[in-house]
Amino acid sequence: MIDVLNYTLYGDVTLYDLVFVIVVMFFASILARFITANVRRTLIDRMKRDQLEILLKIIYFGILIIAFVSVSPSIGIKLSGLLVAGGIAGIVIGFASQSIVSNLISGLFLIWEKPIKIGDQINVDGVSGFVEDIHIMSTIVRTYDGLYVRIPNERVFTSSITNYVANPVRRFEYTIGIRYADDAEKAIEIIKKIIDEHPFALKYPEPAVFVDSLGESSVNIVVKIWAPSTEWYSVKMDLLWKIKKELEDNGIEIPFPQRVIWFANQPEFQRQQKD
Amino acid sequence: MYGTFEISDFQAEFGNFRIKVERDGKLYRYVREGKERVENVISSNSSKLIINPVEPVNLPKNITNFLQIELSKKIILEPGLQAEVYVKFPIEVGVFLASKKKIEIVDVFSLQKPKYSLYGSPSDGVVCRYWESEVFFKKPEIDPLKEGIIRLKVENKADEWVSLKSLVFDVYGMKIYYNSDSVISFGEVELKSERVGETTFLDRKSVKGMRKSVELFTARKVPIVRKSFVMEMGL
Repeated sequence: MIDVLNYTLYGDVTLYDLVFVIVVMFFASILARFITANVRRTLIDRMKRDQLEILLKIIYFGILIIAFVSVSPSIGIKLSGLLVAGGIAGIVIGFASQSIVSNLISGLFLIWEKPIKIGDQINVDGVSGFVEDIHIMSTIVRTYDGLYVRIPNERVFTSSITNYVANPVRRFEYTIGIRYADDAEKAIEIIKKIIDEHPFALKYPEPAVFVDSLGESSVNIVVKIWAPSTEWYSVKMDLLWKIKKELEDNGIEIPFPQRVIWFANQPEFQRQQKD
Repeated sequence: MYGTFEISDFQAEFGNFRIKVERDGKLYRYVREGKERVENVISSNSSKLIINPVEPVNLPKNITNFLQIELSKKIILEPGLQAEVYVKFPIEVGVFLASKKKIEIVDVFSLQKPKYSLYGSPSDGVVCRYWESEVFFKKPEIDPLKEGIIRLKVENKADEWVSLKSLVFDVYGMKIYYNSDSVISFGEVELKSERVGETTFLDRKSVKGMRKSVELFTARKVPIVRKSFVMEMGL
């Protein structure tokens, strides 16, 4: 067994050296996982998720790099040599794999510029959902349907990004049609009261409720409400039904499309009706 | 009705809310009845129930740590002067379980309707719990289950007259003191210019005849990095 381990692979490197390096890297990887798991457990409720993920990656790869640098002389790798070789190899690889390098550079710019963070709700190139992770080569998005989408960072970086939660608040609106016979001022008052009672329909910027247009079948009231970006969708879903119910409870109805038709022989018809 | 209580067979009423803890074998059932029913199961040997006012930013869910108080009247201050006034803040009641070493949150409720607002612009502002208050020269009468008092020191450090109409506090640093009749907190505002001020909640070692509230952010183990808030987007 010992004879086998002393078998020379190349230069001064024996099979023992190679096994030693593999074992050290294996234990370094276990140690890195153990430490990152503990750091995650300790800091998960004390740090923002995106910052925590970056810290964990630094710790994980830091341990692996330190371990590799420590044991690399055993297998005959000299760091000074690596630097020169790495420079040449970098140029070769750079030309050979432009898209990979492009993704890598885009990833670095994304991390530096921070147009998106882990947990944000975004739309990139037609893909909408939550940012699950930002890797160095790609960004992982969980769509609202729960699908896993991996977008290469180059595509993320060169596309227009809509970040739905980058600003603390956002506005949404409804158009509510009421009958011509209904009192629009009363309807506006009722709608304002319902908005005022909702905790996340913001006090300021003030909501706007006004008659926007006189439609074919209805008087159209536009309602514009600001809500915290994290809550706007639930506020939007919640308020519309409440407004509809409250208007109906107060005798104000949302009309069906209607058209008044005048018959050419209507006076004759009306006379017959009277008779 | 604030204080520390034995957990077994506890019952209390807070306005429309009724709280009780029932023993069921080795477990306890915490129940809050009111507009809705909240129920939690507690497994504990020797814990006590602490009920006290907490930082008012938790309902219907915690989305911010800022409290904005819109004043009914402007406070106008001459350069270099300081004034002491009282304003009210909304009360949220926290129910905690306290064992020898640790404190855990069981429930938060309030007799006040929460409302939120934005301080600043839609791109740079902060979402705040919104509250309107009169400005009082003397300590006002309050219902301690609904409202608390902030004793506020306002100091104009600017070289010009400054008007103050709104206050935004970071409640991470809020210290609340209570007894059966009153709930009080202490704050200060340093007016640095016509548009900029810095608000801070003050910490007192003790207030005579009052107990210090268990803070929700302490129970949640939220690290507090700063206690003051710089109002840069208008006063």
